[in-house]
Amino acid sequence: MSKKIVVPGELISEERKRLGSNVFVANGKIYAKVLGVSDVSKDQASVVPLEGKYLPKPDDVVIGVVTRVVFAGYGINLNASVDSFIPTKAIRDQLRVGDLVLAKVESVDELKEANLIFPRRLIGGEVFEVVPVRSPRLIGKNGSMLEILKKGTGCELIVGKNGRVWARNGNIESLKKVIAFIEENAYKNNLTNAIQDFFGVTLEEKFPYNQQRNNRVEESEVIEEESEVIDYSNVGELNE
Amino acid sequence: MSKEEVIDYKKTKKRLDGRKMDEIRPLSIKVGVIPNADGSAYLEWGQNKVYAAVYGPREALPKHTQNPYKAVIKAVYRMASFSVPDRKRPGPNRRDHEISKVLSEALEKVVFVNQFPNTEIAVMVEVADSNAGSRVACLTAAACALADAGIPMRDLVSAVGVGKAFNEIVLDLNKDEEDAPDAVDVPLAIMPTTGEIVLLQMDGLLTRKEWDAVAALGIKGCQQVYEVQKKALTERFTVEELNKKAVEKAVGVEKNTKKEVVLEKKVDKVDKKEKESKTEKKGKDSKSKKVRK
Repeated sequence: MSKKIVVPGELISEERKRLGSNVFVANGKIYAKVLGVSDVSKDQASVVPLEGKYLPKPDDVVIGVVTRVVFAGYGINLNASVDSFIPTKAIRDQLRVGDLVLAKVESVDELKEANLIFPRRLIGGEVFEVVPVRSPRLIGKNGSMLEILKKGTGCELIVGKNGRVWARNGNIESLKKVIAFIEENAYKNNLTNAIQDFFGVTLEEKFPYNQQRNNRVEESEVIEEESEVIDYSNVGELNE
Repeated sequence: MSKEEVIDYKKTKKRLDGRKMDEIRPLSIKVGVIPNADGSAYLEWGQNKVYAAVYGPREALPKHTQNPYKAVIKAVYRMASFSVPDRKRPGPNRRDHEISKVLSEALEKVVFVNQFPNTEIAVMVEVADSNAGSRVACLTAAACALADAGIPMRDLVSAVGVGKAFNEIVLDLNKDEEDAPDAVDVPLAIMPTTGEIVLLQMDGLLTRKEWDAVAALGIKGCQQVYEVQKKALTERFTVEELNKKAVEKAVGVEKNTKKEVVLEKKVDKVDKKEKESKTEKKGKDSKSKKVRK
C-alpha cells in the first residue's frame, strides 16, 4: 500500500485493479481524477480527495440550511450544486429561512439533487463548516474520531457529510480549534491516535455505544473510510 | 527600426533578455490564494501576473444556459486597465471575448463535465500585468485553480507560447520578440500526460519544416510548465505521521485545564439528567421549550 499526493491525470497504477473512488481508466492504466492522496493496495486503486464540493450520496447524513420557504415546502441548501427540497408534509416544525435541518439522503437523482428523508430541525448550538471532502476524518473509522471529540470536549456533536458540523454545549472553543487542526491535517497518518492522546480519552473496544443507541446519526456515519463500490460512470468514457 | 533588423538570433546565439532559445521565462505558481473562491491560483511568468479563481459547480444562471447533459464552463478573461503600457479600456473587447472562448473550450476538454448536469463552472482569470503570452499564462493558472477546487479532471492543462522571432525558433516569446518583424506567435496548450492538444493558434506564417520544429519545442516547453504546476499543487501537502505534540502545538491547550473542563461538563450533564427525569412526566413540549431558552 503506497500513499502519494497526486494531481488530476497522474498515473496511479499500470496494473488492472478494482476501481475505487476518484479514478478513471485510459488505455488500460489507472489515473487520478482529482487532487488527492493515492491509495493503491493489492487489488484496488483509489484517490482520497483533498479539495472539493459536496456530492450527495445515498445514506449520507447532512446538515442543511433553509434558503427558501414556499407553501409546499422548504428549499434546503446542502453546499451541493443544487438545492434540495423538503415538503411541508415531511416535517412537523414550521421552518424559517436560516433554520438548520438535519436529514438523511435517501437517493440522488440524475441532476444530482438529493432527496432528503427524516428531516429534523436542529435547535440551538453552533454550526461551522469544513472542506466537505475532509469531513470523513472528523468521523473516523466506525465513528472513532467523533467519539473522541465528544468525550474530549463534552459537546453534543453532529458531523454532516456535506462539511457542516453542528455542536451544542461543552467546550466549543477548543472543539473549533481541534476541528480546524483535523481539517488542515486531514490527509496525514495517525491523526485519530494523535487526537486521542491529546484529549487523553479512552475508547471502549468495538463501541458498544453504536449498537445501544438507536440514533440514526451515528448509525450512518459509520460508512465512511470503507472502500467504495466500483464507479461504473467511467466505463462509458473508456469507449469514447 | 534599423536596429531591430540587425538582430539575428542565428548569429547572436542568445536572446534579447539573455535566455537560451528553448528556455522559458521564470515561472512561479501559488495555489489557494483567494479564500472566497472554491479554487484559485496566482501565477507569475516573466512579467505576466495572473489571478485565476474557480467557482462551482453551481447552478447555471440564467436558466437557458443550462445543459441537462453536462456542466457549462464559463471562462472569463479580463485585463486590468493598468496591465498594459497604455491604459486599456476596462470593458471586454473583441480580443477578451475571443480568449474567454478559447479558454473555455480548452478547459472543457479536461473536466469531466458530464458529472455535473445543469451546472456551470465559472473560471475568472484576471491579468494584472502582461508582457506577451498572457493567454497561455491564464490557461496554466486556470488549470491549477480547477485542480485546487477539487473538480474531477482527466488531466491538467499546460500551455506555452512558441514561435519564430529574429530568424530563429524560440520558446516563450516576450513582448520584444513578439514585435519582431518576422515574428510568428503560436500559443500551444496540451494535456501533458496524453500529449493531446487542447489549444493551438497561430499568428503569422511558417514553413512546414519550421512548424515541425515549433510543435516539438512547444510540447517540450509544456512539459516544463507541467512540472511547475504539479509542484505548486502538491507542495502544500506533506504525508507524515502525526503525534500528540503536533496537536498541542497547533491547538495550544494544556492538558490539565482540559481535564477540569471535561469534569465540569460531566457534572453538568448529571445535573441536567436529574432535572430532566423530574420534568419528564410533563412531556416532550416542555423539554424542547427549555432547550430553546
